Amino acid sequence: MTQYFIRRLLLIVPTFIGITILVFVITRFVPGGPIERMIAEAQQASMQTGGMSQSVGSSIGAATLDEDQIRQLEEYYGFDKPVLVSYWDWLVKVVHLDLGESTRYSDPVWDTIKDRLPVSAFYGIMTMFITYFISIPLGYMKAVRHNSHFDHASSIVVFVGYAIPSYVVGIILLVVFASNLEWFPMGGFYGDEFEDMDSKLEQVADIFYHAALPLLAYVAGSFAVMTFMMKNSLMDNLAADYVRTAIAKGMPFKQAITRHAMRNSLIPIATHFGNNISVIIGGSFLIEKIFNINGLGLLGYESIVERDYPIVLGVLVISAILQLFGNILSDICVAAVDPRVQFR
Amino acid sequence: MSEVILEVKDLATEFDTEQGVARALDDISFEVKAGETLGIVGESGCGKSVTALSILRLLPKPAGNIVSGEVIFKGQDLIRLPADDMHNIRGNRIAMIFQEPMTALNPVYRISRQLNETLALHNPEMNKAEINEASINMLKRVGIPAPERRMKEYPHQLSGGMRQRVMIAIALLCKPEILIADEPTTALDVTIQAQILQLLKDLQKETGMAIIFITHDLGVIAELCDRVVVMYGGRIIEQADILTLFDKPRHPYTRGLLNAIPRLDKSSKEVLSTIPGMVPSLFDFLPGCRFQNRCDYVQEQCTQDIPVLESDSDGHQVRCFRFRELLS
Repeated sequence: MTQYFIRRLLLIVPTFIGITILVFVITRFVPGGPIERMIAEAQQASMQTGGMSQSVGSSIGAATLDEDQIRQLEEYYGFDKPVLVSYWDWLVKVVHLDLGESTRYSDPVWDTIKDRLPVSAFYGIMTMFITYFISIPLGYMKAVRHNSHFDHASSIVVFVGYAIPSYVVGIILLVVFASNLEWFPMGGFYGDEFEDMDSKLEQVADIFYHAALPLLAYVAGSFAVMTFMMKNSLMDNLAADYVRTAIAKGMPFKQAITRHAMRNSLIPIATHFGNNISVIIGGSFLIEKIFNINGLGLLGYESIVERDYPIVLGVLVISAILQLFGNILSDICVAAVDPRVQFR
Repeated sequence: MSEVILEVKDLATEFDTEQGVARALDDISFEVKAGETLGIVGESGCGKSVTALSILRLLPKPAGNIVSGEVIFKGQDLIRLPADDMHNIRGNRIAMIFQEPMTALNPVYRISRQLNETLALHNPEMNKAEINEASINMLKRVGIPAPERRMKEYPHQLSGGMRQRVMIAIALLCKPEILIADEPTTALDVTIQAQILQLLKDLQKETGMAIIFITHDLGVIAELCDRVVVMYGGRIIEQADILTLFDKPRHPYTRGLLNAIPRLDKSSKEVLSTIPGMVPSLFDFLPGCRFQNRCDYVQEQCTQDIPVLESDSDGHQVRCFRFRELLS
């Protein structure tokens, strides 16, 4: 078992290189890189200052940034070298825990990510807790009372939540509860007075006050799958022979469910768990955008739009590592709940 | 004669299905005496397992329902017993083992837990060490080598025969008065079958429990049972002690079954005799005798009236209008 996990850990290295090299190469070939942006900005600047008087049709691009400047910029961003060479340079820096500097803010990438990560992680972990907290008991009740009114009514709610994309749920919540009813704030991670609050308790309350709607949007999207997974797997297990054995032993039905069927039903849930990690911590950029939350998802999205490649790659590094470790964590969880699973 | 400890009277069980209500058991009556082995034999779908499940009220809910009848165990009607009292009877005074040892044990728990749990349920006064000790002893008695080590293993680490032994150990932990064995050897290969049957015989001798043995295998019945109930289409069609049944079968179905057993002393050229046709489905039973469409001796009356289970002076029961003429 230990050997297996050591092997899995070692496999992270080539997988990680594969993922990053792919994205790195793509950044090279997608139009609109940082240099082109600068050229465009310089153009706009020159248009605004001297554009009026200048004659139309002159070669504008060349006039704003000359060859030398462009070469300097290329050298600065590492575009002067072949792709693989600059990828290697980047990788060496990453190994030394240096993700480079943002081309937009000139801040170190790691600092930018470090600021955003806790925000997304807070939402992710809260979502996970709430999802499991709702899904497992709800799935349990639906399985035990299969085909009852309760089962049908809750199915409607679950399917509606599943059918509407989470960003639409987010927008509806925002319009109804923040804009019309004004029960909740319009967005942000915390309010303007956050720094001035006296007690930690007040600050925590403020965070949750701001988090209520986004969390609902997050949860609405994710609990349907989990609930049905729980229900179906529990129903399968309720019909299993070993549950009948347990009852034949003299165990009351309820106890047979909680002691025997439940444990087996959690196996597929455990398989799911690790895969969720990266999504959870990475956050959803759509929900973060709607609720104006400065999380990792939004950061990744903005940096792609702005062609801020060091940040794009930085976010990728973090989420790739989370995903890869998440997969291994999944395996560990499965091995923990199912003794039949043996890794070699 | 020893006392009757279980009496099934006019038991009828139905299943609610999407195709309608299926009457799986009809007019089932038999007795089990202390210490004896009663065999219930019949083809797939004849209601043998449903009978067993009905006795212990283990029918799949909500589909399966006992609609009438009584199951009297030592003066108590199990059908009308409150759920809590039923928990005290199951696994404690009447235990059951199942056909599939592969799935009857919970795959995620160690053998120790699955054994100890039964004792803990029925003997709250025992402490953990005593329970564990008793479980190990029971594993030893059912012939499991190195029981201490097996206790720490999971079901998937044991062979089918071993698992069935574990199931038997679980069933016998609380020294039940009746053991219901629902095709316990069907899923096992022949040598293991013989071992398990011998084990059940030995354990019965030691404990004096009664066994209700359900099977489709007349060979197993011959080896193990004192009396036999033959079922067909949810009804009992013949009941007799073992020698009588094999010597003088009365019902055409029983005769057909006995003729269908391949024999070493017959020429290999001879065509194996079979009963033509199939067991009717629970949804299209014809009125009258349920065996009518496969019976060589069918007559007008068989298609209209249900024959009653007639009993002669030495307790040989048969449900057939024509068995007297067929005897001669």
